[in-house]
Parts: sequence; C-alpha cells; structure tokens
Amino acid sequence: MDTSDNMDLTPIIQELYAALDGKVTEEILRKELEKYLVTYKTGVTIAKDSIIRKYRNNRQSGTALNNTAVTKKIAELEGTEMIVTVVAKMIFVEKKDVVIKNVPKTIISGIAADDTGTAPFTIWSDMGDFQKGQVYTFKNAYTRTYKDQVQINVGIRGKVEPNDEVHFDLPNSSANGTSGGISSATDMAIGDITEQTKNLNVKGVVSEIQSRTINVKGEEKTVWGGIIADQSGKVQFTSWNDFGLKEGETLYVKNAYIRAWRGIPQLNMGDRTTVERIEESITAVGSGPTKKTVEDVMKVGGGLDLSITGTIVDIRTGSGLIKRCPNCNRSVLNNTCAQHGEVEPVLDLRLKLTVDDGTGAISVIINRADTEKITGMTLDQAINLSKEKGDMNIVANKMGSTLLMKKITVTGNIMSDDFGPQMNARTAEIGSTDVIAEAEELYKEVEGSL
Amino acid sequence: MTNPRETAWRVFATELNSAAYEIKAEEEKKPSYVVSRLGAYINRVLLAGVLTEKENVGSDDEPMWRGRVLDSTAGTFFINVGKFQPEASAAMSTLEVPCRVAIVGKVRTYNADDGKVWISVRPERIVQIDENTQNEWLLDTAKSTWKRLIDMKKAINQADRSPEGLMAAGLGEISAKGVSIAIEQYGMPESALYLKTIQSALRILLPEKNVDLGIPGDLADAPEEIDLEPEASEGDSEDKENIVLQLLKELDTEGKGAARDELEDAAAEKGISPMELEEITGALLDKGQIYEPNLRYLRLI
Repeated sequence: MDTSDNMDLTPIIQELYAALDGKVTEEILRKELEKYLVTYKTGVTIAKDSIIRKYRNNRQSGTALNNTAVTKKIAELEGTEMIVTVVAKMIFVEKKDVVIKNVPKTIISGIAADDTGTAPFTIWSDMGDFQKGQVYTFKNAYTRTYKDQVQINVGIRGKVEPNDEVHFDLPNSSANGTSGGISSATDMAIGDITEQTKNLNVKGVVSEIQSRTINVKGEEKTVWGGIIADQSGKVQFTSWNDFGLKEGETLYVKNAYIRAWRGIPQLNMGDRTTVERIEESITAVGSGPTKKTVEDVMKVGGGLDLSITGTIVDIRTGSGLIKRCPNCNRSVLNNTCAQHGEVEPVLDLRLKLTVDDGTGAISVIINRADTEKITGMTLDQAINLSKEKGDMNIVANKMGSTLLMKKITVTGNIMSDDFGPQMNARTAEIGSTDVIAEAEELYKEVEGSL
Repeated sequence: MTNPRETAWRVFATELNSAAYEIKAEEEKKPSYVVSRLGAYINRVLLAGVLTEKENVGSDDEPMWRGRVLDSTAGTFFINVGKFQPEASAAMSTLEVPCRVAIVGKVRTYNADDGKVWISVRPERIVQIDENTQNEWLLDTAKSTWKRLIDMKKAINQADRSPEGLMAAGLGEISAKGVSIAIEQYGMPESALYLKTIQSALRILLPEKNVDLGIPGDLADAPEEIDLEPEASEGDSEDKENIVLQLLKELDTEGKGAARDELEDAAAEKGISPMELEEITGALLDKGQIYEPNLRYLRLI
C-alpha cells in the first residue's frame, strides 16, 4: 500500500481533483503528488491530506462539495480515500456516547456491507437514527486503515442517506473467508479470535453473566454481558437477545460476530446467532489471567485479563509523584486542569513502565497501591522526600533505580492504540520468576532433544 | 502505521558478535537492524553481565565512554556511550568497575577495512544490578537462544525457506524473517557454538547439577574479541581524518577556525556521524594536528 516509484497515480489524482472541485488541474496535482511520494516519500495518506489542505486554503471558501466524490465498492476501498461515496447496507448499527478531547459526543458506529465485502463505519456526529438492514448512501465519506482493516468514516462534510434503489442479497454464509461477501462462520478457539475476526462459532463455558439495561433509540432494552471461556482463552460477550444464558453452562454459539474496542475483541450474539447447550466437557482457562507473550498480544491487538512477564526497560515521564485534579482525577501540570482550570491538586503515585519480554514491548500503567508495593515507597514517604529535596522528580528517579531491569509480572486488560499496546495493570509483582525451576526445565528440554 | 517500540533481544555476546549482516535504514528515522547467525533480527538488545573495563575517551566536559561487559558465558559485549545518551553517560561516570550491570541499548556496526563487521552496543539505559537479576537475564537469554536454535532447525528442514514458507512451517513473523535472511546470508549455523553458551548459562544457574550438554569446553575459543581502539580501523579512520582536516580548512573562512556546529553539518554530509566526528576530532586534538581556539571552534595548526 505504500509508495513505490512506478505506482499508478491516476486514481489518486482523480480523487484529489474531485475533492478540490476541479479547481486545480490534474497536471499540477500530478506534480504535487510526485513531490510528496517520490521525493519526500511521505506515503499516500499524508500526501493527500497535505495537498488538499494546501489547495483548499486557496479556494474561495465555503462552497459545499458537490457530488463529484468517486463511488466505490467496499472491496475497492484502499483506506486512504479523502472523499468517497459508498452504497452499503448497515448490518449492525449502534449509538455510542464517547468523550473526544474532553468533549462528550454521540457517535454512530456499525458494520456496512455490500456485495463485495464488509467494513466497519463511524459517523462522527449524531446524524439521526439508522436502521439495521437498510441500505444507505455514505456520501463524501473518508476512509482510514486500522490494523489492516479499512474503516469508513463520515465527518462533518459527509452525509448518510437511505437508498431504496439498491438492494443487496447478502449471503448468510459464503464459501470463502474474508474477501468475498460476508464471511462464513467457522469454528474457532477463543484464544485465536482477533479484532479482524468476523463471523464465528465458538464452544465455551459461560464464566460470568450479568444483564443490564441500555437505551436504544429512546427505548429501554435489556442486554446480557459476561465472559465465555475455553481452554485457549476468554472473551467478553454481549448478547442482544435473551438466550436464557446461565453461569457455568457450556455453549455452542453459532454465527456470533466480533467487534473490537481498542484492540479488545468482544463477542456479540445478535439476531442471526443460535445457542446450543452441549454436553462436551470443556476445561476453560482458570479464573486467573491467561499468560501471554507480547508477540501473541500484538497479533490479536489486545485482550482480557492477560498476564505478561518481562523486564522493566524504561520508566517514562509521568511516573513517580504526580498531581491530579481533585474533580476529575486527571493528572495535571502546574496546578491547571485541562477541564477545571486552576485547581488545588491532590498528590498521587503512579508508574508508567515499558515492559519488554523479548518478543515485544508494552506500556504498563501501575496504580498507587502496586507502586507502593513494588517500590517499597509510600505516598507519604514520597511526599516527604520531594519536600526535602525540593524536587518532585527525585521520586521517579529513586523508583527508577530500584525497578529498572527487574523482572515484573503484570496482569490486566491490554488495549492498543496508535502508541502500541498498553495495560492498566490490575496487579503487579516483582521477581516472581523461579529461576532455578525454569532453568531445570530448560535443561531437561535441551538435553532431551540432543 | 504505528511504529511499535523495537524489541530488546536477549542474545549472548557470542551470537551478537558473530552477526555480520546489516539491514540499513532506507529512510531517515527508520531503524537499522543486524541479523544474527541464528536469525535474531536485532535493533535493540537487553544485556547483562560484568562491566570489566571503562574508559573515558572523550573529555571531562563531553565524555565518551567505552566499556566491556562480560556476559558470563565467555562472551564480551562492547559498549560505547556518547553525549546523545545522557542518562547512560551519567551512569557510566559513577559506576566502579568491576560491577554487575544490565543495559538496554541499540546495536551499532563498524566496518573495518578487511570487510569485517564489528558490533558494539550504544546503551540507552545502564544500571547496576544484583546477581539475581543477572541470573534472570541468563535464563531468559538461554531460553531465547534455544528457541532460535529450534526455529533454525525447523527452517533448515524446510524446502521453502522464504519468510512466507517459514511462517507456514510454524515460525512467528519476525523469526521467519530473521531466520530466512540468516540462512541465505550465512548458511547453516554452527549450533555447537550457541549450545555452548546455553551450557555455560545453565552451569551458572544450576551449580549443583553438573550440567553437561556434551559440548566440549574447549570448542572454539572465546569469540574473537573486537578491539574498538582506534587501530582496529586505522585505515578507515585515517581517511575520515583527512576528510575532517579538509573540512576544517574549507570552513575556516575568517581565520578563526571552523565553528563546531558547521563542521558537524558538513561532516554529516560526508557520512560522518556527530559521534564519529567527536572521536575523530578527539584523535586529531591528541595528535596535535588541530587545536581549539575557543570552545565553539576548531582550527588547523
């Protein structure tokens, strides 16, 4: 997908031409694009963004974009489109309340499908109510790629309108996996589920279940959430229908689907899902966390209740004695909270570590209780020390010299974002490795295979 | 899209120092890698051992530390700390040799005239550790070396040794890439050499056990030690000295010498990094070929 010298630039140029309402000649666009791609090797996304920004400023502002956006099928989307129109059926849609840059906002997200494939979409403002199963025209949308999957986005320039002229006969299950149509549901081990997994069948034991009431389009609706596990791992699930699930039951769930939130896959049971109780005895992974390497986690993108053992290779800025806003608990600098202005901060301890296990590195945040436990320094001691030296950084430095290069085992959920995988540790323990036992095990293994 | 942090590889010095194949970054700010004979695809390493020597080859104001770290399996890591690693540099000034240390750092290569590649480590972090922490490293490194030996064995029995072929044979993505390159560049590794490092590590970890993997103790002497003293790459550094002397001449337009920052820029254009430049100007100062009219300038004598 990245720049190669002999890449055909014509489609990109046409797209830019359309996005700029034909105000810039294709000749100029080609020159600009070559400059970005060939001379400076910026990659397609940055090149497009930069060129649009550059020339949009020169426009006699304000004119709404007309319908010149290229129309594409889902399978044709590259993940770099600045402006594109897609006609697709919403096969899943929900409203979400999120906080973006401290501003609460309602967004709409779901999965869109046409006869060539499926893609997640996000409408970044509350544009009204959308019906599952209805075909819509996503006008002036843009696309991004996240974890190798193309996502359709509708921003302020975009519009989503019902389209009753187009019908898709979406196969309930089609022969081949991800590229053609909606992928067929195949049996999967829970530990193999990634955020790219689409439809699937799993066998597992319900280890936790709760119902909760949510508000869908102004109506109260009950959904069930919990955890289902097999011998390979566990996954959070949400059931949108009442299957009468009970804790401890062994299920064969067919035609469930995966939605991921920041790298953590979640199993969803919807209208097309069926649930069978089965007799098969499944030894689900224990109630304890699942041991993983960072490499394993990166493949999936994240996961629930995982345990990682690695070496603390860095203690990052924001560790040690920190100040928090008394209202929102956010960490603050210079007694000024981004949301609450001038505040009288509360002092707290925290660690932001980089833990590397030889297969990869992960960022780990450790709360006060565990920070006190593994450093042997209490909050009061830290406050005294910093007063004595007149410097808050002394705490982080001191903690650094006790912790750097030590082995640590942390457990918690792992999520991924642009900065890579990170964990808010639920527990943290130093030096729990039994070196002798593990050395004996290795000796046996090496000797046995020679 | 995301640029995850480079993994810190656990390798014994024997394996690291035997690496001779480098994948240079094609773009600025992209990492370079060396590939070990067992297929470790290394940008960063985590190492532990005994700091046996340290020497400041720079000045008091701008120290440039060199050191040797013995990894307890008869291998030696060579380390170089300059002004761009302030934390590691501060640590080096206070550590007293010998002492146990752990280091996270980036791998650097130096090409000698005879085509040989010298490997050194540029620490980002260096801290003093206890014996237990060193043992944890020995265990991790032995395990990780063993895993690479197994992957290598799998790969050698494979007809298709492309990264894709090796992934199909069950290797992870990074292993498949590294092992594929290693076989192509170096051929079959001498596995006894690496088994010996595992044997040495296990002997330290299990003193009671009389560990014997059947590797003779005298097999291949301690790996060839590299000498980062200037004479190791005399020819190369002499050429670069001449380049720097030439630059000093060109940049001295007003007769007061060449400004250090201008010299740095000009040297970078000739492919001499600021670190190297520091070494070269240091050597030239020592030889009395140049002097410092003031702190910010250098001038030919």
